[in-house]
Amino acid sequence: MSETIFHTKGLTKVYRSGAQEVHALRGVDFRAARGEFIVILGPSGSGKSTFLNIVGGLDTATAGEAWFEDHQLTTLDERGLTQYRRDHVGFVFQFYNLVPSLTARENVALVTEIARHPMSPDDALALVGLTDRRDHFPAQLSGGEQQRVAIARAIAKNPEVLLCDEPTGALDSATGIKVLEALAEVNRRVGATTLVITHNAAIREIADRVLRFADGRIVEETVNATKKSPAEVSW
Amino acid sequence: MVISPLRRKVLRDLRRLWAQVLAIALVLAAGVATLILGNGAYSSLYETRARYYDDYRFADIFADVTRAPRALLGDIREIDNVLAAEARIVKLALLDMPAMVEPGTMLMVSLPEKGGRGLNLLHLRQGRLPDPQSAREVVVSEGFAAAHRLRPGAPLTVLMNGQRRDLLVTGITLSPEFIYALGPGEMMPDPRRFGIAWLPRPALEAAFDLEGAFSNVVLKLAPGASVDRTIEALDRLTAPYGGAGAVARKDQISHAFLDAELKQLSAMVKVLPPIFLLVAAMLVNITLSRLITLEREQIGLLKAIGYSSRAIAQHYVEFVLAIAALGIVIGISAGVWLGVGLAQLYARFFSFPFLIFTRDPQIYGLAAAVTVAAAVAGALLAVRVAVALPPAVAMSPPAPADYRARMGAFRRLFALRQTGVMVTRHLFRWPLRTASGTFGVAMAVAILVASLWSFGSINHMIDVTFTRAERHDALVAFGAPEPARALFAARQMPGVLAAEPFRAVAARISHRALSRKLSIMGKPETPTLSRVLAPDLRPMAMPEAGLILSEALAEALAVRPGDRVTVEFLEGARRTVTLPVSGLSLGYVGLGAAMEITALNRVMGEGALISGVALQIDETGQEAFYVAAKTTPKTGFVAVTALTVARFKETLAENITVMITVYVGLAAIISVGVVYNFARIALSEQGRELASLRVLGFTRGEVSGILFGELATVVLAAQPVGWLFGYVIAFGMVQAFSSDLYRVPFVIGPEVYVTASLIVCVAALASAWAIRGRINNLDMVEVLKTRE
Repeated sequence: MSETIFHTKGLTKVYRSGAQEVHALRGVDFRAARGEFIVILGPSGSGKSTFLNIVGGLDTATAGEAWFEDHQLTTLDERGLTQYRRDHVGFVFQFYNLVPSLTARENVALVTEIARHPMSPDDALALVGLTDRRDHFPAQLSGGEQQRVAIARAIAKNPEVLLCDEPTGALDSATGIKVLEALAEVNRRVGATTLVITHNAAIREIADRVLRFADGRIVEETVNATKKSPAEVSW
Repeated sequence: MVISPLRRKVLRDLRRLWAQVLAIALVLAAGVATLILGNGAYSSLYETRARYYDDYRFADIFADVTRAPRALLGDIREIDNVLAAEARIVKLALLDMPAMVEPGTMLMVSLPEKGGRGLNLLHLRQGRLPDPQSAREVVVSEGFAAAHRLRPGAPLTVLMNGQRRDLLVTGITLSPEFIYALGPGEMMPDPRRFGIAWLPRPALEAAFDLEGAFSNVVLKLAPGASVDRTIEALDRLTAPYGGAGAVARKDQISHAFLDAELKQLSAMVKVLPPIFLLVAAMLVNITLSRLITLEREQIGLLKAIGYSSRAIAQHYVEFVLAIAALGIVIGISAGVWLGVGLAQLYARFFSFPFLIFTRDPQIYGLAAAVTVAAAVAGALLAVRVAVALPPAVAMSPPAPADYRARMGAFRRLFALRQTGVMVTRHLFRWPLRTASGTFGVAMAVAILVASLWSFGSINHMIDVTFTRAERHDALVAFGAPEPARALFAARQMPGVLAAEPFRAVAARISHRALSRKLSIMGKPETPTLSRVLAPDLRPMAMPEAGLILSEALAEALAVRPGDRVTVEFLEGARRTVTLPVSGLSLGYVGLGAAMEITALNRVMGEGALISGVALQIDETGQEAFYVAAKTTPKTGFVAVTALTVARFKETLAENITVMITVYVGLAAIISVGVVYNFARIALSEQGRELASLRVLGFTRGEVSGILFGELATVVLAAQPVGWLFGYVIAFGMVQAFSSDLYRVPFVIGPEVYVTASLIVCVAALASAWAIRGRINNLDMVEVLKTRE
């Protein structure tokens, strides 16, 4: 296996609500290599989103360790986590979360303005095939287009990690495939380690590796010997 | 009792949005409080005065004469419509108090007649009235007694007509004639240096050589009688006895100052409450609009399950009515509390035997009705949207906010980053709301500008009056005109460095149908101690023959330099002449007319007479001068500039703290109310965007910066607008308050704008600070999962 970019050891997350304790993660051990495309599957409440949130620096663990390269995420404070997200992580959300008052290009520029080694917003939009829509506002774009803008925004900073939580969840099949193509393309071109959470088992075929979460643990790990291209997938 | 679910929702909404609800309720409360305070104080003061006047038979007409035989009173009583007339002796005396070095004046007044026929009756607070046979028993005004800690039984020494008299205080009283007791030559009441004493008539007759005569007459008229015609008739009768022209009640000093106060209160009621109610209506509108947008789907659902549009409208109106009710309760409490405070303030300035604090339900009812109307008016526009929503449309999420504005030029001009673009586009996306917020903050600035300017103006007035015009240290006014050689005697007094004579002659100046009664001042050709200033503040030389009129007088008579006016002298040979108007002068207090002293004596047909002297005094010789001035028989009264100015500033300083606290409080309520609500709405609309930015790696500071940038833009844009509004309001106030009594110079220095803006910005910062916690705790995980 090539160079490790992420690893976690015994990652545990317990939510307390009143007297009740909810164990969202029960000691997850995980390792990801640079440039890997990983799909995470699992039912609701299996802990996959909590896991993504902790390795993405949005949430803190109750116990265990999470490492990004030589940064131990589990020891970083709020400020450190913000800096980590800013410098290394790209996020893609289920509902795109574009800023409605900014055009496609401006939404991308929003991130490139604060990034250390960004690509140009135009290049990022070209990567997702939206060059000719760059001056449109989100309200003037289709759902698929908005999600591709979100991907362009996520990768424009040249992140080491791209985290996607249900990126096709709000899209129909044809549009979803376009978005997956954009993700696969970006993964190949930029070399960002990509973690994609999905309910959609069909997507597993485009991954290097597939993890299945259940009850706060990784219960199954499959390595795809041959990846399919998104166009070959259907759901 | 079963509470319907919608009503329960109202209660929960109120609890959930308590901070915004409170902010709006406070703005409404400020409107209610100022309305109650203004209307309440107005009617309290008005009714107290009316009752006082009625119960104590306050006169309608007042006239001074030099010396008139008591027999004249019979003729005066014969004038049509005169219900009662009383001949009095009213004369100035000098105080001689062992504990007081500085000069003080006592107005000696003969006691009103007994048996229900007298006028200007006294209200005895302590002790008893003097024995009519006694030559030394006296009752004194309450303020004076308090300032000197006099109680019945205390001795009191005065110099009447140059002679020392030891008197005995038997009682302490109030009089409707001296509710506002202003001493001669003073600008503010100073109960320490000016008091009123009432003595039995015979004692005063003896002291002032007025046996069988009187020096003052007061008249009570039948209701509806013509004051002007009575004055004409009275003046005809008194003219041969040195009558200097009668004055109507409206020109009587104490009454006129009360009128000015009433005028100010009614102006306050016209300006302040509407501002608050307007801003509150606006806040209700923007807050409710946002609430309805957020509850769109619930509204659709309610309609779908069969609630009528009317029930839904009623639901939101109830929410607003609850806010209004809270505002009314707070406002009424604050209004009553402030009312008591104002009444205490009045008690310091105005001497009333009682104060009727109006609890007229109409005042409260009006305040409540206006407040509810303002709140509901603000709600209606927003509620209309809820009513118009078809259920099917309402249940689907709203279309995404559509931004299409191109702002290339704007953006290049300000070199905006993307976050700046967000701020700008969001502000332009809701132009009405942005305008409302700007307007609201502007009104806070305006209230401050319109209240703070007056202090600067008053300082300017003092500075101009006492360092440029009246540059003397003391002014001695003689009891009666003296030959010019009295000037040389004055120069010989201890401590006197320089002396300058003046002549003051009562006269009526008229031009066409307009006329005014005042004192014409005669001054040396180039006066140095008591100067007349041109409107550009340059000292003016006295013309050889013409008159210099103050701008206020010229305006009142509608004359310009070069015009001729008729001057009817009310003293001496009582000549009537026409004189040219040679120039216009600046004058803030009263109406002024000046001419060269020898020219004045010449046109009057008198020899070289002077009425008094303006003096420059050596500081070390001050006390010796005070003693000498007091014991000179010629002295009518002595005004000491430093004491006048000090008293003025002292009074101002007392008021300034109260006024600034009140106005800063009011402005802060508006700024906090507007900025806080604006911030909460902006956060509610953009919370999701901002949380997304946090996920993308924006720091808390950067994210707060976006929201605060929006607030800052609104607050900053509001400043010049507020300055302008404030300027306009202040200008309106100057126009409204200008009277023959005084005119306030309209001076607004940059410090007024700066102070107003600083106060509002601090209040805005505090409100922004209050929502900082909400920005810092934006839920990043939530935004990944949910659609708005």
